[in-house]
Order: sequence, then C-alpha cells, then structure tokens
Amino acid sequence: MTRPRPYALLAEITYRCPLHCPYCSNPVAASLCEAPRRPPSFAEASAGRQGGGYSNGELTTEEWNRVIREAAALGVLQIGFSGGEPLARSDLAELIRAASEAKLYTNLITSGIGLDDDRLRGLRDAGLDSIQLSFQSDESNLADEIAGARAHAGKLDVAAKIREARIPLSLNFVIHRRNIDRLPQMIDLTEALGAQRVELANVQFYGWAFRNRAALLPTREQVDRARDIANAAKARLTGKIDIFYVLPDYYETRPKPCVNGWGQRYLTVNPIGDVLPCPTASSAIPDLRFENVRGRDLDWIWQESESFNRFRGAEWMPEPCRSCPQKEIDFGGCRCQAALLTGNAANTDPVCELSPNRALVDAVLREVNSSSDYAGDWAYRQNPKPELTSV
Amino acid sequence: MRAATISDLARPSLAKGVRLQIDSTTGKSVLLYPEGIVELNETAHEILSRCDGRTLGEVVRELAEEYEADSNALAADVRDTLSDLQRRKLIEFT
Repeated sequence: MTRPRPYALLAEITYRCPLHCPYCSNPVAASLCEAPRRPPSFAEASAGRQGGGYSNGELTTEEWNRVIREAAALGVLQIGFSGGEPLARSDLAELIRAASEAKLYTNLITSGIGLDDDRLRGLRDAGLDSIQLSFQSDESNLADEIAGARAHAGKLDVAAKIREARIPLSLNFVIHRRNIDRLPQMIDLTEALGAQRVELANVQFYGWAFRNRAALLPTREQVDRARDIANAAKARLTGKIDIFYVLPDYYETRPKPCVNGWGQRYLTVNPIGDVLPCPTASSAIPDLRFENVRGRDLDWIWQESESFNRFRGAEWMPEPCRSCPQKEIDFGGCRCQAALLTGNAANTDPVCELSPNRALVDAVLREVNSSSDYAGDWAYRQNPKPELTSV
Repeated sequence: MRAATISDLARPSLAKGVRLQIDSTTGKSVLLYPEGIVELNETAHEILSRCDGRTLGEVVRELAEEYEADSNALAADVRDTLSDLQRRKLIEFT
C-alpha cells in the first residue's frame, strides 16, 4: 500500500511560555516540566543524544536541523514553529534558516513576547515567510486577564514592527465564553493592525482547555450570535482579509475532519522529539506509544510506526463510522476527543450525533446552558519557574 | 472585481507572502502561503510563471503564440484564473 505523504510539520520547539492562558492545548503535565537549568554545553549539543542537550530534554539545534531535513525529504512543504513560545529558544533563527534552506515555507506561531527589532530582523534575514501573532482579546484589561500576564500592549507594538518589516501577518484569537462577545472588536483590531488574515478559533478541548472546559465553553446563544457576526465579516472583507472562523465542535452535529485524517497530511514533533500524528495525541491517548526522533528517522516513523498506522485509513473504524458515507469526509472525527471523553481513542468522536456516546457531549452542553451564572474560575496554565539555585 | 473588468494593462503578481515552487515529490507547481498550499494545474502554472511584471495583455499574447490558441478565448480563461486567485488573495494587480 502506498502511504500518503505529509505536507506540513508542526515543530513544537519548547513548552516554555511567558503566558498562562487557561485554554492552552499543551499537555498539562509537560508544561509543568522543568525549564532548563542551563543551556547545553558544546559537547552535549554535539552529542545530540538522549541525556545530552538541554537539561529539560528539549531537542538540540543539531537534532532539529536533522528533523527539518528529514521532513523536507519526506515531502513536507510547510513548517510551523510553535510551542509553548518558540521565541524562548535562542536558536530559533538558526532553525528557520535550516528550514528555508530545505525550501520549506516557514511560519512562526508566537505570542510576540520577546520579539524586539534585532530579533525580528534576524528571523527575517533567516528567511521567515510569515508570522501568526496570538491575541487574547481586543483590549488590555480582558486580554491580560486571560493571558495571566501583562502582554497586550506589547503585542500591539510587535504587530506594528512586523508590518514595518513587511512580513505577512496573521492574527490568531482563541475564542471562548469570556471573549466571544467581543468578536466584532477583534475583527476591527485585525483591520487596524493591517493583518491579512485572522483565525477566530473557538477553543477546542485538549490540555489545559479540557481541564477548564466548564469556564471556557460558550453558551448556545453566544455561539449563534458569533457565527452570524463571523459570516457577515467574511462577506464584508472578502479580498481584503481572510477570516477563518473555527466552530466550537461540541455544538456541531457531525465531527470535524481532525488533522484531515490520522497520518494523512500532518505531523508534529514535540519539544523532546516525540513524533505525533496530532499535537495533543501524546497526552490524550496514553496507551499509544509514540516514536522519538532520537531513536528513529522521520521517514520510518511516518511510514512504518504503529502510532501513525493505528488510525490511518478506515480499517480501524467501528460502527457507525464503518458504514457511514461521511467516513471519507470527517474520518470519524478526532481520536483525542474520543479518548478524552469516552476513554477509548478508537470510538467514533462523541460529537457525532450518530455516536452512541453523544449523550456525554449533550450533558456538558446542558450544564453550560442551564444556568445564567458564569461557570466559575479557570485554572491558569502554570509554567516552570526558571531555576535560580546552582546545580 | 469581475473577471471581465481586469484591464489588459494590469500587472498581476504574487501577493505578499505567496511563493511559487516546484513540489519535488510530484514535480508539479504549488503556491505556498501562510497555512496553505495550492497545487496548480498546467494552465495556472503557465500563467503564474509569467506574472513577473508583465501586463495581462502581454501574458495573454505570449500564451496565445506559444499554444497557437485563439487569443480572445484564452484571454477569458486567463482572466477567470487570475480573478479566482485574486479573490483568494494569492495574487494582486498593480
């Protein structure tokens, strides 16, 4: 059987981050892991094997360069540098240069914190093609409350610098119960900052967001209103700004075509080198063993590994997916969501109205919509504090 | 902009952040842009590889000569292709 080829690699180069967003999709356990106490020594970095490198286990520059070359050879055309906050890695420009040399289209997905003029110039000179800048809302009070950090004003400055540097800019808003009513203002901000693209993505429930679901899930009324606003803005701004509005899938009746099918188009490499068919798989599906780039090359992992083949195609599907005409369209939905909600990644995504487990989703919606009271506080994403004591 | 309204003197070029490249896996042309990839058919490839400062009229004339095609019919095709790409913000006119 000929395997599909991957088009895009998500390089999650670190889980370190200066923000504390309660909707973060990073694994809860991993984002609590220790920050490196020190950068790797030359010998460790050159050795590039497990145990070497950063003391928190992050891949070294050399290891990432190899991953990038292997991804290009495998057919990857796009790379997204993400995290955590990718700017937390001082070798980001080097990695972007390696990706450019491999002819990959390079995207930086960032909070913007730490992106000063020098850094931006360095990234541009390294060949950076595009920047996706995250915002938590359209104005400081709410945005900073959501981020758990004073960040909004700095982001506005960063957006202006990115425009001056003539790097294509997309804005990225994660939408949830606390900010969904400000959708029109978010779209205004996108126009004002001269971005050419905006993602208005309702939060999906993985990682910290799953933990904070009751506080983040919008009401049905909010969702209906937001959908109308997004559609009107799309029509108004056609040819000017591309608007991608991502629906909150709990309110849908059919599941999203998650990652366009398992092991079909995308792969993610996380900070310690685990290779994942989807960024949230390592925490959501604990019984699946993922391969690491320190042990295997990317080609073998993509083609041969158990983790990439487990849910590839339609063979694995249970009913009602197996006989469903939609199976080539939504691929049974999201494996991580099936695992998180039903305890079994091989179940139909319970968002689907045909799933025997749809009642699990309906129960959550009932709770959110039955009370006018705000569903409570969220837990902020915690980050490791830099270690100050000597080793 | 409706396709028929694009002037012969307009100069189509790739929009900011869009790259035309050969996909080494398939040998076909692709447009790469933030979060997206479009695989080009042969017609679109022939058009876009000429969008380097030439006017629309020049692009049509060249293609008509190269393919010995009727330039009126060809002009309509080229306009349709370009206006579709313009709507998707992949090309712009100056």
